[in-house]
This record gives sequence, C-alpha cells and structure tokens, in this order.
Amino acid sequence: MQEISGLIKNAAEFTVKGPLQSLKFNIGGIEVVISESIVVQWLVIIILAVIFFILGRNLKLKPTSRRQMAAEYIVGFFRNMVNDTMGVKYKKYTVYIGALFCMSLLSSLMGLLGLRAPTSDLSVVATWGAITFILTQRNKIKTGGIKGFFKGFVEPMPFMLPFNIIGEVANPVSQSLRHFANILAGSVVGGLIYFALGQIAGGLASIGVPAILSLYFDLFSSFIQAYIFCTLTMAYVSMAECD
Amino acid sequence: MDLLSFITAASEAAEQPTFSLVDINADTIIFTLINTGIIVLIYFFFLHKPVCAILDKRAQAVNKDMEDAEKARTEAQAVKAEYEERLEQSKEEAGRILSEATKRAQQRGDEIVSEANAEAANIKQRAEESIEREKKRAVNEIKEEIADMVIAAASKVAEKEISAEDNERIISAELERIGKES
Repeated sequence: MQEISGLIKNAAEFTVKGPLQSLKFNIGGIEVVISESIVVQWLVIIILAVIFFILGRNLKLKPTSRRQMAAEYIVGFFRNMVNDTMGVKYKKYTVYIGALFCMSLLSSLMGLLGLRAPTSDLSVVATWGAITFILTQRNKIKTGGIKGFFKGFVEPMPFMLPFNIIGEVANPVSQSLRHFANILAGSVVGGLIYFALGQIAGGLASIGVPAILSLYFDLFSSFIQAYIFCTLTMAYVSMAECD
Repeated sequence: MDLLSFITAASEAAEQPTFSLVDINADTIIFTLINTGIIVLIYFFFLHKPVCAILDKRAQAVNKDMEDAEKARTEAQAVKAEYEERLEQSKEEAGRILSEATKRAQQRGDEIVSEANAEAANIKQRAEESIEREKKRAVNEIKEEIADMVIAAASKVAEKEISAEDNERIISAELERIGKES
C-alpha cells in the first residue's frame, strides 16, 4: 500500500494534456483553431499520399515487383473485408473503408513518432462515428424508403421507440469512444511507463524496456482498433438494411 | 487527488493552450471531415483505381487465355480425330488392296496351274493318240508284211511243190522268223 501511494505521489508530476491548439487564425471574423490532431492528420495525408502513389503507379499485367504485390494485397484485403462483412452489393464502400482503415491505423501509429495520435482526440474519432451514423441512416432510407425508415423505430413494438433511437445513437458513440479511449489509454499507459521507468536507475531503465509494451499499445492496438472500427462501421451500415 | 482533477490541473498548467482531453471541437470535426475526404480521394485515385484496373485487365487476359487454350484444345482434338480417321481409312485401304492382290494372285496362280494341267493333259492325250496311231500303223505294216511274206512263202511252196509236211515246216519256220523280227 505504501508502495502504491508512493507511485501516485510521483505520478502527480505526470500530466495528460489534451491536444494542443497549434494554430489560430481568423477567417472573416470567425476564429478558427487548428488542433494538434489536424496538423498530425496533414502529416498522415502526406505520408499516405506518398505511400499510395508509390504503390499504385506503374502497375503491370504480370506483376514482377513486390511493390505491386503489396498494392494488390492491400486493395484485395479491403475488398475481401467489405465483401465478407457487407456483401458484394456494398462493394462501393470499399474505398471509404480502405481509406478509413489506413487513416485510422497511420494516425494511431503517429504515436510511435512521439506525436500525438489524432485518434486519441475524441473530436476526430467522433467525426468518423458521425459518418457511420449518417451512412447507416442513409442506407436505411435507401433500402426501406422514408416509410420503412420510420417504421423501423417502432418495431417490434411501438413502445420500443425510445430504445430504438438510443440504440441508433449508441452504436456510433460507443464505436467512437472505444477507438478514442483505447488509443488515448495506450498513450497514457505508455507515457506512464516511460515516466515510471525514468524514475528507476536514473532513467536508464526507460531504454529498451518500453519497446515490448509499445509493441502492444502502439502497433497491435493501433491495428486492432482500426480493424474493429472499420468492421463495426461495415456491420452497422449493412445491418441497417430494411427488409 | 483523483485522476480527472490532476488531468485538468495539468492542462491548465500547460504553457501552450490545449483543448480539453475529452471534448468535441467543431473546428477539429470540420477539418477531420475534410482530411478524411482527402484521404478517401487519395486512396481511390492513387491506389484503388489503378489496382482495380490492373486486376480487371488481368482477369480479362486470363479469361482470354483460357478461352484461347480451350479453343486450341478443341481444334487439336478435331485435327487428331481427323488424322485418326484418315489413318483408319488408309489402314482399311491397305488391307483391301492387300487382300485384293492376294486374291488376284491366288486366282492367277490357280489359273496358271489349271492351264498347265490342261496343257499337260492335252499333251498327254496327243502323245497317247500318236502312240496309238503308231501302234496301229505298225500293226498294219506288220500285217501287210505278214501277208506279203505269207504270199511269198506260199508262192515259194507252190514253186517247189513241196509236200504237206514241207509246207507246214516252211510256214512255221517263216512265222518263227517273222516273230523273231518283230
């Protein structure tokens, strides 16, 4: 007990901040604040643009390069993912899911570079959750019409209406919170470990040891969260289909 | 001190202004929306479109190759069947020619043999006939000679006026001589 309280006393020096307000400017009297998350996202865009451009250029009918194999594997991976989870008729979602997966994964991996992962910002992930919500409702209207859309809320019984509404909203909210909290918790735990190890042996312990944990919290967790988020998005959208 | 309070305390203490840790910020949402759109476009135009294009092209090429192979296979089979048929035909033809030739040769041989047989029979018959004729002629000649000799003997007998015994002796001697000669 003594040990733990000691740790907490030390941990008081450890701080968890929100994303920085990196830039501020005025457009026609409206103050726009650019978050650190957005700046890192721009970096993500540049990296992805370079990677996609290198992967996707100069493709041959008979693949000879590993580069092309990788490009085909990536596209095939998303195509299969969408086909398996949503069915072939939703194959136009492949582009969104692929882009979302890459963006989420790379955003989370930015933590490895010592940057603040945009996915540990709730605003970012909530945006994707909102997109999921909109896509879900759109698919409902598209498959069932306006009538089917409203009818879906009073099924199986009319008194289920509030629960149905809560259910509809809860899905993207829980999805967003899961992603956000996992990445944030990962970076917090990672930071705590660095901090704690820095207290031991004059900081020498923070060399090498956190790598194993970083493997889980940064690499594995980033991949898994991106995968889960995409899978849930696909599931919510395709399940919204009215019969 | 609980976690939340020291988090808020920390963010207040930071030199650069930060957003709160669990806050939804409209500007961030708008920019995230824009950035997500950009990444969707990048993904689509840089990776998805070219790869799908090449995959479709490859699928087409593979289909075409398979169709070509199938066509070539059926063609080859047709050619093979045709050759087999022709081979069979020529075999039949050869068999037919051979049997015909054999038959003809047999026929011809039979003909030759029968001709030869006929010829031989002919020759034999002619020879027999000529022998017969010769024999008849010889017998006739002998008969004539005998008659002449008998006449001669008779005239001799008549000339000498020999007795009956002499007569008989002469005739038998004469006959004996003729018998020896012939």
